[in-house]
Amino acid sequence: MPRGLVGLVGANGAGKTTLFRLLLGLARATEGSIEVVGRPVVDDPVGTRARLGYMPEHDCLPLDQSAADVVATLGELSGLPARAARQRASEVLDLVGLDEARFRPVGGFSTGMRQRVKLAQALVADPELALLDEPTAGLDPTGREEMLALVGRLASFGISVLLATHLLDDVARVCDHVLMLDAGRLVLAGPTETLLHQTGKLIVEVNAGVGRLARALEERGLRVERDGPFGADGEAGAIDVAVGADPGPVLDTIRDVLADLGLPLQRLSTRAASLDEAFVASGDRGAGLWP
Amino acid sequence: MTGAARGAVYDRGYRPYDGPRGGRAAATLALYKASVRRALGLRRSWRQKFLPLALLAVVSIPAAVNVGIGYATRNSPLEGFSFFTYREYVGVSSALLLFVAVCAPDVVCPDRRQRVLPVIFARPLTGTDYVLAKLGAIFSLVFAFALLPQVLLFVGQTLVSKDGSLRYVSDHADILWKVPVAVAALAAYYAALSLAIASLTARRVVAGASIFGLMIISSVVAGILRHADALGGRGPLVNILALPDLIFEGHIHDTSPLSGVPGAGALGLAAYTAVLALSVGVLLWRYRWAER
Repeated sequence: MPRGLVGLVGANGAGKTTLFRLLLGLARATEGSIEVVGRPVVDDPVGTRARLGYMPEHDCLPLDQSAADVVATLGELSGLPARAARQRASEVLDLVGLDEARFRPVGGFSTGMRQRVKLAQALVADPELALLDEPTAGLDPTGREEMLALVGRLASFGISVLLATHLLDDVARVCDHVLMLDAGRLVLAGPTETLLHQTGKLIVEVNAGVGRLARALEERGLRVERDGPFGADGEAGAIDVAVGADPGPVLDTIRDVLADLGLPLQRLSTRAASLDEAFVASGDRGAGLWP
Repeated sequence: MTGAARGAVYDRGYRPYDGPRGGRAAATLALYKASVRRALGLRRSWRQKFLPLALLAVVSIPAAVNVGIGYATRNSPLEGFSFFTYREYVGVSSALLLFVAVCAPDVVCPDRRQRVLPVIFARPLTGTDYVLAKLGAIFSLVFAFALLPQVLLFVGQTLVSKDGSLRYVSDHADILWKVPVAVAALAAYYAALSLAIASLTARRVVAGASIFGLMIISSVVAGILRHADALGGRGPLVNILALPDLIFEGHIHDTSPLSGVPGAGALGLAAYTAVLALSVGVLLWRYRWAER
């Protein structure tokens, strides 16, 4: 995976949290090996954890201690000396915007403030990689904006981020790369930009004979869609053709069919869409876009 | 989408940390210190501080008063006055029991209930380190609280002794190692047993009540067995929480209910060891999920 901000998208139960547990060395993979921040997790889970920050989705804070105390103590548990931990706790609480409230017990905090403390404890030991599980969960729109802005800045601090969420919009907003999980399987991976413009569909527009083209493509086993019914054979128009992970054979088929039918091609392009469409379209795709 | 452009919007910077980082030992020590602070109620409200302070008073004041009276009347001894024996003073173990019944659940149950364990184990330490830190914290506190009055008694009697302080110390030199060993045995036992029970539930109240329940039930059963003269006089061994007291100083004392029962010393020691081992085993098992 590249450095920077990576989104981990999947429905509930897709395996996001399990993946985090694997990366933290708290669960063991049935097969394969995992390397995190350049270390093999299975051989050195403790050493790996020392370089990671983890923000769980659920509540995870001792409620009767002050935010400053919680974050400093957890910083010490990450291996920082006591004085450095207190200093870092104060800095990261500033960073997440909790300067005045930090000496109050966490139990009295709002959801938004607790999410900030949770993020602060993940960052207190200056991790190489922060694993953030649904950091915007339960936040109001303003809180969500602020949290995303904060997460978006982490890469510039030298902290890579793996952001797990079921909100594709969050990923589209802040992440450079996207991973999509479904039932524990990686269904899609690649730069956010590419995925935004990649829905697994090609637009084929011809100046005449769109009906004939559609039937010919379907006969060759391709999936063809069109808004509205096909008109007469001579009609001009556009159709969507579904492509798999490898668009090469589909493009070849389209070329051959166009040549056989002698139809005038107006346009052939990929269909730009949102991550949501990419996610839906990814259902029958197996491979990623990274080499 | 790089953060550099966004960073300009904010005035607060971020400073990477390039100082020293400790490993498991440092993390374990940090958790130990945090647990001691928590049990003593430091950095928490006065309600949390009340119990440890009250306990310190309960265990120390009688010894202080006893020694004080002995010192004040050293030239004209009061009739019927005698110093507490060191052994009698382990009798304050019921106060120590109250302490572990409240503090042991307090240092482990909230971690489970408030789901702090995942963020603790996302750090460079393992389940064994966690157990070590928690055991160490409760052990240290019980040890300190149980030893303090013994030190008071020893120092007091040294000062009051008619034969001179040096003579008293040399006559009672064995106390200097026997009492700390006995107190350590008591502290280890209480810490392990109370934490093991507390680790089984996420609720402090349930854990505290279970520790008390165990104490009451086992002492009642032991009493019944003793009066019924069952088990060949070994009934008191059933009193799980009194075991360290029964084998105080490593042998069966004349005043012990087990006195004169054949093989009671060895049995008591075996029962003590078994309960201690079982408790530590339960603790390691309860936190094994981060042990991979």
